[in-house]
Amino acid sequence: MKNILLASHGTEGALAAENRVLEMCAPGVRITHLLVIPEFWKDMLGDDWLNNSSTRMRFEHYLEMELNHEMNGHLWRVQDRLSKTSADAAHEVVLGRPDHCLTDACEQSAYDLVVMGSPRPKISRGLHSRMMTRHVTRRLKTPLLVVPHPCG
Amino acid sequence: MIYTRKSPALLMMGLIMLGIWYLFESGLLLGYIGHLGGGKYKYTGEIATVPLYFGIFSVVVGTWQWQAKPREGHLDYYLSTVAGAMFILLIAMLVRWFLAPEIAVASQALGKIGNTGKHLHTILGLNYVVLGILTGILIVNFFKIPVWAENGVRLSRLGLKTGVILLGTLYSAAELKNLGGLSIVMFGFFVLGSVGLVLWIGTRMRIPSSMGGVLSAGMGVCGVSATVAAAPVVQAKSVEIAYTIGTILLWGVGCMFVFPIVGHLLDMSHVQFGAWAGTGILNSAQVAGAALAYQPDGIETLKVAEIFNITRVLVLPIIVLWLAVWYVKREEVAAAQQVNVARVTFEKFPIFVLGFILLFALSTTGVFAPANHYKGKYFGNTTESGFKQENLLSHEQTAQLAEESSKVQRQDRQQALQRLIDHGKVMSIEDDDVLRGLINAKVLSKGANKILTKAHKSVRHTAKKIKAFRDWITWLFAFGLVGLGMQITVSAMRQAGGQPAIIGGIVGAIKAGLSLVVVMLFISETV
Repeated sequence: MKNILLASHGTEGALAAENRVLEMCAPGVRITHLLVIPEFWKDMLGDDWLNNSSTRMRFEHYLEMELNHEMNGHLWRVQDRLSKTSADAAHEVVLGRPDHCLTDACEQSAYDLVVMGSPRPKISRGLHSRMMTRHVTRRLKTPLLVVPHPCG
Repeated sequence: MIYTRKSPALLMMGLIMLGIWYLFESGLLLGYIGHLGGGKYKYTGEIATVPLYFGIFSVVVGTWQWQAKPREGHLDYYLSTVAGAMFILLIAMLVRWFLAPEIAVASQALGKIGNTGKHLHTILGLNYVVLGILTGILIVNFFKIPVWAENGVRLSRLGLKTGVILLGTLYSAAELKNLGGLSIVMFGFFVLGSVGLVLWIGTRMRIPSSMGGVLSAGMGVCGVSATVAAAPVVQAKSVEIAYTIGTILLWGVGCMFVFPIVGHLLDMSHVQFGAWAGTGILNSAQVAGAALAYQPDGIETLKVAEIFNITRVLVLPIIVLWLAVWYVKREEVAAAQQVNVARVTFEKFPIFVLGFILLFALSTTGVFAPANHYKGKYFGNTTESGFKQENLLSHEQTAQLAEESSKVQRQDRQQALQRLIDHGKVMSIEDDDVLRGLINAKVLSKGANKILTKAHKSVRHTAKKIKAFRDWITWLFAFGLVGLGMQITVSAMRQAGGQPAIIGGIVGAIKAGLSLVVVMLFISETV
């Protein structure tokens, strides 16, 4: 396993996947960290029609800033953890449907293994944006390791 | 940047519109229209004109967009919106003229439901408005909005705002005063109540202040619009925004279907339903949707509901300011910030409400209808003012009234009735009011009341401009709501969850239930 794709966006499940990937790090191994910003954020203005454009733009800028802040925090954390290993690390941030972004990334580069976390249990808090979908199981040609969720 | 997408889509939509017009004009649609209701089918006037004008416009602009090379600039930007706007309009046409009547035919074939005396499609509110919104939701979630239509779909907001502005022409001063007062009382109680309740439950559940702030605005004022306005002010986290907007959208879409059903089952008046929807439904877009779903071929319910929407949007800057002050006081991290009252008020002020007030003011001067009009109808018993001589009561009709006049006890009614008998028509607006009272009192026989009703109708005329405004308003709202349907995604609704879903569920249910009780107990059937 020389070329590994880590799909992680900061959830508890993804953290477990990160931990698993760190165990695989060795000289000559390349880890690509794929961070997907789910496309549903584009729809967060919903059916608002009462606000004027300045309010809407202010909201869009604010949300963009918030997401940027959260994503950067996550990116730097993974970057920091990977830099302490002997593996080569690369990072890729994309906007779209998480499952589609994953299969696209795998079609663009030849990975030996894809590592991702399990979907969160229903009782735990988090957003609904799954990467492990039927689309992935049908389209993905790379071996896939789904790390169990820490909450079981 | 070039905004116009090179695509034959607009040209094709134009040809479809012209095709509909041609099929109708050539009589090829007659059989199908007969199936949809024949003489009762209400849209023949629209099919004879609307697809022709918009079809020609779409073909001209569509050919240009497909063949010409657009140049960067304002013209390119504005023309790039045409395809999306015509996409929404075509859907609205197909749903209003064909799909909704088809469903009505199928529903009528099933017969009336139980002892409600109503058909299934009436009870479920399956009319062109609801079906249009549903079509929009289906398109965005199953097929996505085509790239060439994206710019134009955003115009749906403009359609709704223009519709509200034009609504200003249809209110009388008395209506506006009464409805405004009612909405302020209802809103004062329910907005403050739900904002307070969310903050109280939030404290008990120990949710962060930012989540409490954004959720209380959404639950209390006007749903997604309030969330959008309040989120930056209370520095809501992204997950809190997603939870809140998801919850409100899910709740709002559900209410849009449930409210009309309950309204029909309780046989609510237009005023009662408009007031209930305006208070109980969290999201402002769904308030308009539910009002039109309840009364698809009239705008009395919409008029009531929109006054509530206008009150909501006027209250919004105040609530945002309140939350800003509350948040700054509560959170030490934000203490360094100062709330700029002038900026918040200016930014959040709904300019379109000024348009509504302007048109209302113009309307009261008699520009659109004679100054003495009430709900767009004015009194006129001369040929110049619209009275038709063939509407004079016949000798037999006046004789029947004379025969029954002894049943009338009140002197003012006797005198008004006598003047009607003498002249064969209602002689003054005061007489008209008195005779309507006589009809409602049911003193005379059914036949005599029918004659009085005919006499009343022949002196009450709808101003042509007001009628045109009504037609435009109906189309603007249909256009706007179909377009807004295209902006409601399942992926956004799926984010409903966490504590906001629990708090939202509790507060939303209390608000809807309590406002229903208040409306049924304290609001009369007319304003």
